[in-house]
Amino acid sequence: MSRLIAGRAAGLLGVLAALTLAVFMIKAVLPADPVRASIGARATEAQVKAKKAELGYDKPLVTQYVNFVGDVVKGDLGDSLRTRRPVTKDIGRFLPATAELAFVAALLAGGLGLVLGITSARGGRIAGATRTVMLALASAPTFCLALLAILLFYRKLNWLPSAGRITRKLTPPERTRFLLVDTLLAGDFTAFVDVVKHLIMPSLCLAIGPAVAIGRVLRGSLLDVLRQDHTRTARSKGLSQRAVLVRHALRNALGPTLSMTGLQIGLLLSGVVVVELVFAWPGLGLYTTQAIQNADFPAVIGITLVMGTAYVLINAIVDVLQVVADPRLKTAGAR
Amino acid sequence: MALGLRLPEAGVPTRWSGGRSQASRRVLRKINRLGALNRAGLVLLVLITLMLLAVPLIAPHGPLDNVGRTFGHPGAKGFLLGTDEQSRDLLSRVLYGMRTTWFAAFLVIGSGIVIGGIIGLTAGMAGGWVDALLMRFTDVFLALPGPLLALAVVSALGASLPHTLVAVMIVWWPFYARIVRGEVRSIMSRSHVEAARMGGAGRLGLAFRHVLPGTVGPVLVTASLDIGALILTLAGLSFLGLGSPAPAAELGAMSARGLTYLLTKWWVPVMPALGVFVLVFVANVAGDAVRDLAEG
Repeated sequence: MSRLIAGRAAGLLGVLAALTLAVFMIKAVLPADPVRASIGARATEAQVKAKKAELGYDKPLVTQYVNFVGDVVKGDLGDSLRTRRPVTKDIGRFLPATAELAFVAALLAGGLGLVLGITSARGGRIAGATRTVMLALASAPTFCLALLAILLFYRKLNWLPSAGRITRKLTPPERTRFLLVDTLLAGDFTAFVDVVKHLIMPSLCLAIGPAVAIGRVLRGSLLDVLRQDHTRTARSKGLSQRAVLVRHALRNALGPTLSMTGLQIGLLLSGVVVVELVFAWPGLGLYTTQAIQNADFPAVIGITLVMGTAYVLINAIVDVLQVVADPRLKTAGAR
Repeated sequence: MALGLRLPEAGVPTRWSGGRSQASRRVLRKINRLGALNRAGLVLLVLITLMLLAVPLIAPHGPLDNVGRTFGHPGAKGFLLGTDEQSRDLLSRVLYGMRTTWFAAFLVIGSGIVIGGIIGLTAGMAGGWVDALLMRFTDVFLALPGPLLALAVVSALGASLPHTLVAVMIVWWPFYARIVRGEVRSIMSRSHVEAARMGGAGRLGLAFRHVLPGTVGPVLVTASLDIGALILTLAGLSFLGLGSPAPAAELGAMSARGLTYLLTKWWVPVMPALGVFVLVFVANVAGDAVRDLAEG
């Protein structure tokens, strides 16, 4: 097991190096000029040259890359052109809101995916209906779901708030910046409920796409497992279809589903940008949109690095979890 | 001449057995055996492609024309989907937007197949260290978050539709490289390739005449299942303001710009979003049908 983790960790470092290289290439090769951007278009030739030297852009590309990686490791991502604060600080400020949203959405996606997968694998009319619903849900862009959800649950029924993380006057004293935790720490139950209400629509919109993808893979591998001998044995000793599915087939079918889950949770991170824009969720996604609109390139680069790293890490963890869930993979990996 | 020599080998189409029409009859038979949803998917795929090709002929107005009244309700005064804040006909705008997105998606998938195909074919045919190197490269690309990188690339290049397409093309090939490489490896070990090689076929001839045709099926199936996801990605990037600038009829951007009117004039942001939904739904249903055709 530890050798496996060591191997995966080495692979992980390679991928992270590739990520910094990709981001560096975007930064270095593409026409956005960071020097001009930071001192303005009217600067004189001498000023540009001085700034270039100050930022290290006059060095060879390899040196620039090494410096870039060094800065990234030290947590220095440069200054945002819009807020004029260090990008790392900005990201630190907006990260908790996004992490909270993404965490809840990931839980929902996993749970919903499990339900959808099992329901659609059971056969019969309900399964057919579930499959059609899944097909429709998988075809809707996140922003479409978000718009329709707001129209229904906010405008028509007025059950849920449509924007932000919490009603302003309920804001708890800031401790972890995770409002679910902060409101509980403050012992303010009304505020906690308010936070949950604010979370429902955005997290659900974010979760539906991944949930359907997870459900589809789970259905596929469940049907595979159900065709195998050991499930037939389980059924022939008189277990109900449901017991066979849940107790005998599910664990075997979890492997491919887990790797799909990792992939989908990673993709959820890019869905976050759209959802935060629609629901005015003050997190990294909204920060990204504003950075894009203001051509705030250092911020975009920083976010790409942070979210990209999160994506790579999540997938690495899922990789290891997969082996835990299905020990057969350990020998397959060793070969 | 000995009679036996003229008998064609079983299964090999020959001129006098009418091989081609037999093959197309086989496809037709397969289509007949498909379920209703699958058949509907294939029909819709053809219909929507034809319809979107003909948009300039069938759209009631130009995508940028002001037609008289702002915020017309859907259905009112002959405007099926209503009009927007600048009194443009939403039906026409959505149709033009769908046309752009649909064919853009085909373009990106096509480039993904070409780039991935070249890399996969090279790796699979060469084997050895070339294979190892190219596939490590592909794996690393697969491990990176595509949409996120595309977002960074477009914001560096500057927002525009061609830039968005280039950015997505850069991240959309690795999957195809993997598939083509896998297929090539398995085809290379088959006897017809060995026969061709012994017959003196050159590397290129071997690749294009004997190996590549075998990869077409799996690649097409993957591509047909992939178009929906690609359209969603393109629409998402456009929604974030990375597509064409303001007046252009682009679905994601129209929906994002209409966001301010969501609570009062819901149809302005919702109609373009539904346009995306229709495209992805057709692509997904048709994709399932193509897969079933290939498997069944």
